[in-house]
Amino acid sequence: MARASLTSALCYRDPKAALKWLEAAFDFELVMLIEDADGNLAHSEMKFGDSLVMIGNEWTAQHKSPASIDGFNTQSVHIKVEGDVDAHCQRARAAGAEILMEPADQFYGDRTYRCRDLEGHFWTVGAAVKAVSREEAEAASGLKIQGWM
Amino acid sequence: MSSKVLVALRIKAPPLRVFEVFTADIGAWWRPNDLFSFTPRSPGVLAFEGAGEGSRLVERLPSGKVFEIGPVRVWTPGERLVFGWRQATFAPGMDTEVEVRFEAVGPSENQETRVTVEHRGWDTVPIEHVARHHFPDGVFLHRHGEWWRDLLEGLRQALISPSP
Repeated sequence: MARASLTSALCYRDPKAALKWLEAAFDFELVMLIEDADGNLAHSEMKFGDSLVMIGNEWTAQHKSPASIDGFNTQSVHIKVEGDVDAHCQRARAAGAEILMEPADQFYGDRTYRCRDLEGHFWTVGAAVKAVSREEAEAASGLKIQGWM
Repeated sequence: MSSKVLVALRIKAPPLRVFEVFTADIGAWWRPNDLFSFTPRSPGVLAFEGAGEGSRLVERLPSGKVFEIGPVRVWTPGERLVFGWRQATFAPGMDTEVEVRFEAVGPSENQETRVTVEHRGWDTVPIEHVARHHFPDGVFLHRHGEWWRDLLEGLRQALISPSP
């Protein structure tokens, strides 16, 4: 598949468990896995829609899973789905996701929920449910918005 | 068997059809790679000689010689294929193995196949061996995985575009 220009790479203490979990929770599909002579994961990629995420281990002292640093995150990944966000949330919950925010309509026209995965990474999941103009979004949020698409 | 690469993709065709093209048409969709040639006289044309366990994957070289890449160990049409994989430079004891799984996915009226290739056993080939091109283990496996990705893309193209 063609590579998107941006790809997130996430660190897990147990990346092989993460591969199974992300498939069960989010329907991600493993497309590449490299294991070293000891059977440890060296590199992996999962596909969802037209995008990839790389699932790796804590490969330097500065690469940490949230599970190793008191649950702190320094970035999170947003998943854009087509269709039913509530069903997506149910599937994630059944797989063990901790739902931090239940599905809710947002002023910008998406319905989203937010969850925490097996090692504490935050994920936001959303689908477009309503076309909203910039003016409507500004009026609903009180924010000044530039670059509305 | 460790030191492995796994690559998977979906193809819009049923598993049995994908299995048939993988095996019967391998000479057409295979894409040789200079880094990973089987013999110094490669590339030739790949073929499965025979069908079922006991058959073998070979490369028919331009010279007319036939190089055996490996014996077929599992041949379950539409489900699973396992074969050995050796390069001519491998010493005794060096052996890698390829397992290909064909899994039906998606609704029955629009069936797709998830094809997964697992190429394992590279730990039997020492890192200093010529086949590894002085790459560190991870880099070598990554390059090999990218080649498998190209190969599966070739298989996909062969299945979705009718032959002329």
